[in-house]
Amino acid sequence: MAALAAVATPSAAQLRLTQDEALRLAFPPPLSIERRTAFLETEELARARGLAGQDAEIERSVVTYYVGVDSGRVGGYAYFDAHVVRTLAEVLMIVVTPEGAVSRIEVLRFSEPPEYRAPEGWLATFGDHTLTDALSLKGSIINMTGATLTSRAVTRAVRRVLALHQIVREREEP
Amino acid sequence: MLRGMWCVRYNGAVLLAFVTVVLAAGPLAPLAAQEPDSARIERLERQIEAITRQLEALQLGEDIVTVADTGVYGFAPGASKVYRVRRGVSIGGYGEVLFEGFAAERQDGSVANVPSQLDALRAILYVGYKFSDRILFNSEIEVEHASTEQAGEVSLEFGYVDYFFSDGVGARAGMLLVPMGFVNEQHEPTTFVGTERPVTEQRIIPSTWRENGLGVFGSVGNLSARAYVLNGFDGIGGGTSGAGGFSSSGLRGGRQKGSKAMAEDFAGVVRVDYDGIPGAALGTSFYYGQSGQSGRSATDPSTTIGGGTLIWEGHVEYRAHGFDARGLFALATVDDVAEINEVKGLTGSASVGERLIGWYGQLGYDALWRTASRHQLIPYLRYEAIDTQNRVPAGYAANPANDGTILTLGVAWKPLPQLVAKTDYGIFRNGADTGLNQLNIAIGYLF
Repeated sequence: MAALAAVATPSAAQLRLTQDEALRLAFPPPLSIERRTAFLETEELARARGLAGQDAEIERSVVTYYVGVDSGRVGGYAYFDAHVVRTLAEVLMIVVTPEGAVSRIEVLRFSEPPEYRAPEGWLATFGDHTLTDALSLKGSIINMTGATLTSRAVTRAVRRVLALHQIVREREEP
Repeated sequence: MLRGMWCVRYNGAVLLAFVTVVLAAGPLAPLAAQEPDSARIERLERQIEAITRQLEALQLGEDIVTVADTGVYGFAPGASKVYRVRRGVSIGGYGEVLFEGFAAERQDGSVANVPSQLDALRAILYVGYKFSDRILFNSEIEVEHASTEQAGEVSLEFGYVDYFFSDGVGARAGMLLVPMGFVNEQHEPTTFVGTERPVTEQRIIPSTWRENGLGVFGSVGNLSARAYVLNGFDGIGGGTSGAGGFSSSGLRGGRQKGSKAMAEDFAGVVRVDYDGIPGAALGTSFYYGQSGQSGRSATDPSTTIGGGTLIWEGHVEYRAHGFDARGLFALATVDDVAEINEVKGLTGSASVGERLIGWYGQLGYDALWRTASRHQLIPYLRYEAIDTQNRVPAGYAANPANDGTILTLGVAWKPLPQLVAKTDYGIFRNGADTGLNQLNIAIGYLF
């Protein structure tokens, strides 16, 4: 990790976006935003964990997500994921298309030193990725030089969200 | 008798009241308990909504999740957007233990007789405190070689306050790490291959190099930059900081380390990095400042020694698809070296270099990259050339021992990103044929 403060020194917490601001970026008018919550059954949670992979741990069975809707048509799904990068927290919004591909990632909070935060250009490389083996740092996602822990944290979060999204979609579709 | 009759009457009244209540409530009780299903469902949905909102706020942070106006759901409107600043202390650290085993003979075949060494090289504690979203404090405290009672020391490696004007742009002041090269700002053992830091980044960019000062930092798109003003080197030595001054082996002795640093001369440093290529980063930095600290010439005490010191370096790094590659070139020049030599009593080949040049290239590859293993096993090699007396003043000579190369071959194993075990063999060659090969083994951790 390139270091203004010499590798992963603590305490550069920055709130960049609130949830409302992030959702408005994801679903601008005329899209309306619906808040939904899925309470996963034991089997569904186990399946989501299997889909996400060993690295991307899923601990919550209560999944709150936001749906952008325009004239009854779903424009996308937004999920929020909070996780630790090294010792401090990061909060991401990961927007998924109805087909299950990543369409956008926004950083709401990054508490590690700012030079370790994933730049927009790197986050954009997740665009159009679906939940496949290629979605990893050993696949088509290139590690950020000097920010390996951030790279891992974001990649895991994306896999986690896509796995949960798959379960959510299965529940919504009859 | 009267008491008994009263009791009967009292108890009877109670019984009558009870019966009356039961009879009255009887037909009404089921009606009261029969909330319409639709209303009950709606009420439960509102409760679940409230619980999940609170759960979300706990997960994401109450300053991220604004309390929605819940009038829609029948609750009293909150209408409040609470911004709660998170404050607190955070702690991190790293450390390394290093074994150095030296060859029995030097490059020229002479007996070396240098004992092997197993050293608790360094243990570092990072402590930081966030005052607000805009202001924070960072520090690094280092214990080298385990104990101050032996060969060790305890140092403040950096300690500064950051103020963020906006996202990613800010100012800082305090004891700062000079933003040059790779290792000076980024020297945790898990972040570079090799058991030891490149010699170029010990003698020309004298890591760990920290001085007192202030500056600004920021990033725009794929470009990031920082610019600081710092107290300069003490190139002569013997000043209030205890620095020994420059020497024939490089600039390392000129560091004042923020310790009662002489501030007659200041320096400026600027660094720019570009990371727009996936997996790659490249950058450059430039340092200039006087290093004489008002030292007086030995032959003319009325003349102040300037000792202008310039350091330029360029670096490139590529980490992707299992590869870990770096390259760095550094050039330094020092003015008034003859005057510095005179004050320090240096003669002949002990001269400080007027021009110092060093560079290295290293390449590693994670042999487990294509496997499902979460471990990393990285064989690597580094080739380095350094000449700390590439030019010396007239009347002095360069010591060929200060012009050499190092070829390092090794392997690193990382069971976790924050743990590493490394071993390598260094082949040291120099112009004086006194190079001494060594086998190193190191473990390092980061948290």
